[in-house]
Amino acid sequence: MQQTMPVRLSAAETTLVEQLKAAGADAQAERITVAGLPTRRVESYHYTDLRMLLKAVPPLAKAANEASAPALRVPGAFQLMIANGVVQENGTAPAGVIVGKAKGTALTLRDDVLVHLNTAFATESLNLNLDGKVDPVIQIDRRTEGEAAHSASSARIYVGDDSEVTIIETFSGSNQAHMTNHASYIAIGKNAKVTHITVDLSGKDATHFATNEYALGEGAQLRSLVIHAGSKLARSHVFARFAGEGSHADFTGLNLVSDGQHSDITLDVNHAVPNTTSQELYKQIARGRSTAVFQGRIVVSRDAQKTDGKMMMQGLMLSDEAQILSKPELEIYADDVVCGHGSTCGQIDEDSLFYLMSRGISRQDAETMLVRGFLEELIDPIEQDELREALASVIDQWLTGGLH
Amino acid sequence: MTTPILEIRNLHVRVEEREILKGVNLVLPAGEVHAIMGRNGSGKSTLSYVLAGKEDYEVTGGEILLNGENILEMEPNERAVAGLFLAFQYPVEVPGVATMTFLKAAINAQRKARGEGEISTPDFMRAVKEAGAQLNIDSEMLKRPLNVGFSGGEKKRAEILQMALLKPTLCVLDETDSGLDIDALQIVSKGVNALRSPERSMLVITHYQRLLNHIVPDVVHVFSDGRVVESGGKDLALQLEAKGYADYEKDVA
Repeated sequence: MQQTMPVRLSAAETTLVEQLKAAGADAQAERITVAGLPTRRVESYHYTDLRMLLKAVPPLAKAANEASAPALRVPGAFQLMIANGVVQENGTAPAGVIVGKAKGTALTLRDDVLVHLNTAFATESLNLNLDGKVDPVIQIDRRTEGEAAHSASSARIYVGDDSEVTIIETFSGSNQAHMTNHASYIAIGKNAKVTHITVDLSGKDATHFATNEYALGEGAQLRSLVIHAGSKLARSHVFARFAGEGSHADFTGLNLVSDGQHSDITLDVNHAVPNTTSQELYKQIARGRSTAVFQGRIVVSRDAQKTDGKMMMQGLMLSDEAQILSKPELEIYADDVVCGHGSTCGQIDEDSLFYLMSRGISRQDAETMLVRGFLEELIDPIEQDELREALASVIDQWLTGGLH
Repeated sequence: MTTPILEIRNLHVRVEEREILKGVNLVLPAGEVHAIMGRNGSGKSTLSYVLAGKEDYEVTGGEILLNGENILEMEPNERAVAGLFLAFQYPVEVPGVATMTFLKAAINAQRKARGEGEISTPDFMRAVKEAGAQLNIDSEMLKRPLNVGFSGGEKKRAEILQMALLKPTLCVLDETDSGLDIDALQIVSKGVNALRSPERSMLVITHYQRLLNHIVPDVVHVFSDGRVVESGGKDLALQLEAKGYADYEKDVA
């Protein structure tokens, strides 16, 4: 039976419906009118009740005519910029990199409200074709500038067979109550090796939504790292599909939340073919009154024998008022697989802290060292020194009093 | 009379509801090495932790004076900067923290507190190499995370390395001989003896007399049931080894 009584719309929902109608996305407008934004009853939003958390939606972004300072500099990186959803002119591309753009979003259609919103509002995508061993790190600097704006952006990245590339995407902009919705689609060719990092460094009033889609070809190797360190409300949804045998991925991520922040990383991994492996390692550090969420789902399809998947969440509570939530799920339809998951949560180890302090190191410096140590296994596998140092600097900034 | 490096006056300490130290008195003049001997559970290790400032210990009475200054209100790092060093019985393994990073941070924290600039990397490397050579510590060991995967002997040598680099005025060695074979004991003792000087005092806490053959003390204190029950010369350690602690524990027995 179809529900016919529309829900009473919140202010955010009302604005979204208007914006969707104006963009010609009537079906999506209708959907939100009828069902509203997802609440905790929707499983994939169980700990991130959008209806409750999203208080307002700012007007759709206009073209950016000013620029804030770059949020993160990676020395030697090839820089590309998307400002308020518009792909900007770029410098000369290094060998193996072809930059272009295309209409519409890069995401495949999925039954997810944030994907739908991106599809409705992302008018163009940055297109990247990467081939061979691309030496410089590629940085996609996504900005939302000017007055508070609802902005959607998109990037589509094709990595050719046997290529080796490292991409970092940073999200930042003017210090306003923006609502941004970013899409990244990355197709990884045969035996290619990709490191893809996304770092939210948006302002303290911002809402950051991001969807990463990965398609792994035969023998492909992926390292994915999602870091939330900026927005008041952040949610990154990672979808990955192992489509070629012999492929492997490390899915990693980090929620750094301070007082008043809510960050959510949700992972959906589908081992669709046999002989693929994945390791999931997510860490969350919470201080003040804040919430950090990790949801991870690994689906092993019926034919995907010999799948090996290990999922881990480790939380570190720096205050009694913080919440760290973890929901791992395994859905296994094949019978010859090795899969496991675990979650741990704790505080800074008092014995380690005392040991470091007994050598003259101040409490704050000792805590910083221990937290850095806790995060080392996320940062350490990144090969480029400059990139590792840039990421370490984000963590240090957060540890020594925050980014804002 | 010059101020002793360490003076403990009528120290009483509780852990949860139990009184562990019941009025410890001890004077350690500059340049001397004193041993504290006592059986397990007599409160020796508690004393070392209380000196270093570990939480969970409630000082209910008395004073600890380091160079004449009461340190009871100080944080552990402030005590370290004031010249106190505790060589742990069980050094803590700290995954993710590189040994060299830690050593440099400790040296710089203490230099900063003294108003000095940071140590230069070449000076630091030289200091670590020199101190390490004496203790058979190679660069491979220093590349590992702090104490992680170190053998018992390696941990104790790493403690003495830290002591050599930080140059404290008061060294407290808590059961430094535990878990060491004869060769390791000799290396560690040699390292400790090299640090003996007229400005530096040492408090060597041990269960066995064996260590005191290598690190010869000026004074031996016998610890029993939370207090010093007898003090004497180094021969006292030999008597203890022969007769055991039973004579001091009539109340308990």
